[in-house]
Amino acid sequence: MRYAILLMGAPYSNQASHSALRFAHAVVERGHRLEAVFFYHDGVQNAAGLAAPPQDEPHLGEAWVSLANEHRVALQVCIAAALRRGLLDEREAVRHGKDGVSVQAPFELTGLGQLIDLGTRCDRLVTFGP
Amino acid sequence: MLLHVVNRSPATSRVYQQALSGMSSEDRLLLIEDGVQGALPQLVPYYAGLEGRLFALKEDLASRGLLGLCDASVQVVDVDGFVELTEEAERTVSWY
Repeated sequence: MRYAILLMGAPYSNQASHSALRFAHAVVERGHRLEAVFFYHDGVQNAAGLAAPPQDEPHLGEAWVSLANEHRVALQVCIAAALRRGLLDEREAVRHGKDGVSVQAPFELTGLGQLIDLGTRCDRLVTFGP
Repeated sequence: MLLHVVNRSPATSRVYQQALSGMSSEDRLLLIEDGVQGALPQLVPYYAGLEGRLFALKEDLASRGLLGLCDASVQVVDVDGFVELTEEAERTVSWY
């Protein structure tokens, strides 16, 4: 089956990100195709490329990148939710005149249309809320 | 048949009431995160009537020291079983 995950909880604030990551690996291990993880609301904080948690703690951002690289999972970030939280890729940083870039590939800033697309294209869409 | 997922304890949140009111007589309910507290014998009466359709996530029970303390009416599934439940359900609805 084709799966997608909608994640709306911020990392280090509640369990949602950990639950979603664990579920994502289980989906892949059961032989399904995980098309994408869509990060929405505070969930966009998972894409913060400047996050530097202590080395003896799980690094959620890196965990998502590993998942994406190993299993070709798209990491789609709601652009409106990201911009208001200071999460900008290079293009948006230029557009808004900001010095820093805080979102890098494989995370991609996309619109809500992508979430609708996932909902219609995938067999299952599972939400992890805060 | 839909799978409903609740991540709050019935001792601290009323979202379980919304989940129950949104469930049909065939739907299933999976308790995850702090929601697994609802699987304890003291709290499981909140889910009366769901016998055979009530599940709790093993990993979240274990991380809270609650494994082995669930009411007998609750079926404990691991994350692999969580995915299986989503396969069997037409759609998944999360309450939080």
